[in-house]
Amino acid sequence: MKLPSFLNNFKNYLYKNYGENPGTMLVHTGALGWVLSSLAQIFAVAVNDKITVEQKSFLIPQEIADAAINILSFYIVTSSVKNLSTKLVQTGKLTTKAIKTQLEHLGVAKEKIGSFDFNIGKLKEVPKDYKSFKNGVEVIASTLGSIASCNIITPILRNEYAAKRQKQIVAKLHKNDNGQPYKTYNMTDFQSHAYSNHGLKI
Amino acid sequence: MSFIVFIDLGGKMTSITKYITYTGSGIRKAIRSASQKGFDMIPQKEFLNSKVTDAINYIGKNFSSDKQRVALGVTALMTQPFIDAHNKKIDDETRRASVAKTIAKIIAGTATGFLIRYGCIKGIKALSQIPAKNVPKWKTIFTPQGITDNTTEAFQQYRNAMGTVLALGIMVFTNFLIDAPLTKLMTNAFIKKSEGKK
Repeated sequence: MKLPSFLNNFKNYLYKNYGENPGTMLVHTGALGWVLSSLAQIFAVAVNDKITVEQKSFLIPQEIADAAINILSFYIVTSSVKNLSTKLVQTGKLTTKAIKTQLEHLGVAKEKIGSFDFNIGKLKEVPKDYKSFKNGVEVIASTLGSIASCNIITPILRNEYAAKRQKQIVAKLHKNDNGQPYKTYNMTDFQSHAYSNHGLKI
Repeated sequence: MSFIVFIDLGGKMTSITKYITYTGSGIRKAIRSASQKGFDMIPQKEFLNSKVTDAINYIGKNFSSDKQRVALGVTALMTQPFIDAHNKKIDDETRRASVAKTIAKIIAGTATGFLIRYGCIKGIKALSQIPAKNVPKWKTIFTPQGITDNTTEAFQQYRNAMGTVLALGIMVFTNFLIDAPLTKLMTNAFIKKSEGKK
């Protein structure tokens, strides 16, 4: 059975890029998941017969803005946390006893540890436990980054945005035919008018 | 330095390039130095306990996207309804509906997200066998070319990645077919329940 070449290329691409980088895979597939689910939401609004064209002209940009907040906050936060964790492990700032002992045996100078340009993964002889430790730290970091962005930062940003939009819509709904807002009274004004001799009577 | 550039503008272009490179390397040096200073503020940490190291290594090997989805869902249930319930910028009724929708969305999204990812990763594992005489061709459809060992960590991670990508493709459809109706059903049930508690 001969497979189409794009499938073979795709398999090799995934193997080469994510086989040794599970943390990166979680960040990229997480972002792709957000993109696809956002596209689904936008598509659902676009093809919904019960929504008028005027409503769609507002709802579709709103969905796009919502999607942008979700995707950007996810990608920026998660990839930053993951990249920082990678740098910490690469430079030996975050390490294990076994890796440290192996580095000493390899004759790596102590001053190099923690230097921004130092990368354990690029040594001629990479410590045996390095790769699995790096993968573990990256997976934990990308999961913590996802939790922070999806479950804390995004809901707060989204609520802020949604509350603003709701206020704008309510303000639009409460405008008269001339585009002027209806005159409103607070309770003190209302009481002073209602109980005065020449004011508002109910 | 600007004098040199001014002179060179009428003459050799290579000098301008040198100037830009010089300036560029200066900026790079400054950025690198600032990064190093910031990096130095992070304390060094060495894990001495082998149980902790083993746990980190285990997570790296076994924590695939399906398990991550569950972790996200569980923590989402602990934070998101709380954030929505304390959103003072909207009225009480909207807030109740928002909390109900959030809980419903998390439960529906986590359940379908986990099951589909789990199923796809298992499916990919079954369809990415190492080619051999007794292995049917269709069972190697997702095996990358040139792979002869299915026990390496890189190959296990490839299976997780391919399973996750397949799951994401399937979830484009299940978003409409399962998530949306399930979320709607549960949201209405939760709103009814919260109204009964008023």
